[in-house]
Amino acid sequence: MSLPEPTLNSYLMLSAVLFAIGTAGVFLRRNIITILLSVEVMLNAVNLTFIAVDRFRGQVDGQIIVFFVITVAAAEAAVGLAIVIALFRHKEMLTPDAFTSLKW
Amino acid sequence: MDAWIFWILAAGAVTSSVLVIGQRNPMRSVLLLILSFMSLAGLYVLLGSPFAAVIQIIIYAGAIMVLFLFVVMLLNVPTEETPVGRAARLLGGAGPRRFGAVISALLALELFWAIGRLDLFSLPASDAPATTVHDIGIRLFKDYAFAFEATSALILVAMVGAVILARKEPR
Amino acid sequence: MSPVVIAQLIVIGFTFFMLLNSAAILVYMERKVAAFVQQRYGPYLVGPKGLLQPLADIIKLVMKEELRPKAADAFLFYLAPIISAAAAFSAFAVVPWGGDTDFSTLARLLFLDRIFGFKGLEHPIHLAVADVNVGLLVIFSITAMGVYGIVLAGWSSNSKYSLLGALRASAQMISYEISYGLSFAGVIMLAGSLSLVDIVNSQQGYWFGFIPKWYIFLQPIGFFIFLTAGVAETNRAPFDFPEAEQELVAGYHTEYSSMSFAMFFLAEYVNMVTVSAVATDLFLGGWHGPFPLPDGFGWIWFLAKVFVLLFFYIWMRWTLPRYRYDQLMEFGWKWLLPAAVLNLLLSAYVALRVNGW
Repeated sequence: MSLPEPTLNSYLMLSAVLFAIGTAGVFLRRNIITILLSVEVMLNAVNLTFIAVDRFRGQVDGQIIVFFVITVAAAEAAVGLAIVIALFRHKEMLTPDAFTSLKW
Repeated sequence: MDAWIFWILAAGAVTSSVLVIGQRNPMRSVLLLILSFMSLAGLYVLLGSPFAAVIQIIIYAGAIMVLFLFVVMLLNVPTEETPVGRAARLLGGAGPRRFGAVISALLALELFWAIGRLDLFSLPASDAPATTVHDIGIRLFKDYAFAFEATSALILVAMVGAVILARKEPR
Repeated sequence: MSPVVIAQLIVIGFTFFMLLNSAAILVYMERKVAAFVQQRYGPYLVGPKGLLQPLADIIKLVMKEELRPKAADAFLFYLAPIISAAAAFSAFAVVPWGGDTDFSTLARLLFLDRIFGFKGLEHPIHLAVADVNVGLLVIFSITAMGVYGIVLAGWSSNSKYSLLGALRASAQMISYEISYGLSFAGVIMLAGSLSLVDIVNSQQGYWFGFIPKWYIFLQPIGFFIFLTAGVAETNRAPFDFPEAEQELVAGYHTEYSSMSFAMFFLAEYVNMVTVSAVATDLFLGGWHGPFPLPDGFGWIWFLAKVFVLLFFYIWMRWTLPRYRYDQLMEFGWKWLLPAAVLNLLLSAYVALRVNGW
């Protein structure tokens, strides 16, 4: 049995599915850490798009952008988790609904 | 052969991503996300970018996820309670959850429609020459040198910011 | 199945087999060397000169009862040693242990050409499981995966000591990974490639006819930084605070017994072998020796060099006192990392000047 050969469209569809899954995670979850993880899923979907189109056009620029996206994701994860730690120290909860006041 | 590898890795990536957002225990979410990263790294190799694949594993799966695991372990993050009763069903759940689920489904449909309107472009097979580190190096340090330096400044700022934000307030 | 494919499969099986054996040999070597350093005999009862001691150890470990704390997460508890061991073995997959060979000398030596009519392969194969063109980064990434084995072990044991030990061990490992990576950046610049086979092949030849062109002579600081960071990565010798018996009961593997415990130690010994093998390939010329051996026997030089580095590892463990955890982290971040960065800058400068800047 031979499966259909993957084309650029299959990679883009896969990336779209992953992006939608990440978005669903951001909307549906009530735990800040899981929301951050869903944002990482979305960033990965974008990376896949860059590399797939790169391969199609025969360039290298997409991989360099992926390199920067991964670096920025690292910085964002570090700062995001530091904020989570600071929030957790204040109230012992991690649901985003609990932090509704602008000042504590 | 390519097709098999692609479909297996794609199925792995999608399954683990769905499980990431579906798990209640954050520790398991993190581990499943690592699995998703591995599948994506395999897909990058299939697309002729071994350097991007290895960088993904070293930085994303090897460092960022360790950071997530540390925070999950240190804060002893409780598992999320699922709402019981009528609000328990995801799509039929109260207000924001249903809104979120519908929006994500709409996004997926829109993207599928947009991609479906493209012609079928075929990709070079996976044994066509892969990009070498040499090419990436030349482009990175010549054309993207400013972005490279700016990113290093960004990481420095993020490091200092993270240390300050997570510090205990002096009494 | 062409003879090349069969030969490749035999090389893969042989590499795996030798890695397992090397762990057993290291168990014996460690105990004997430790004994002689401490002026006693070490194992001498089991087998001639105690050579069958590892066999006795394995039998004892297999017979022990497998315990698990009740509150421990069963899946993660058993997954952790598997991840450690799998990462340790996989990292060796891209390390070449011999030159290109077509087995013709071996065929003649073992009379295979008379018995089976096998005179060697059509084209030579690398004596490695895989030769990836980003091989050095693959080793680095798989070593980074090994951290998860320790972290999950500590977490899933659900006990304070294990968790503390695991957090400290993983923080130590990821801190020293940076210096580890920077130290071989100098070698990459000299060799111009990330593939280990290319790096070893660029160390062929001699200067002035008798000094081999190994990178240890061009990058001595890089070599020492690599070995120090490697020792810290494998949680050995002066950097083994996370598994120190006197400090934390036994750290992250407190709750493990029998085969799971054996898996962690297997992983540690195989990691030692991998670090020594990579150091040999990068800095000590791999399978090129002071005088060339017949084709296909370069692995003897490789084995000798790896053996010297492993002896050095064990010697260090039983001679040097242990670093305290904060001293360890301070050393890694304040001394080793700037040294590695300066080494990189210096190498880059020298390389540019030599190439006519």
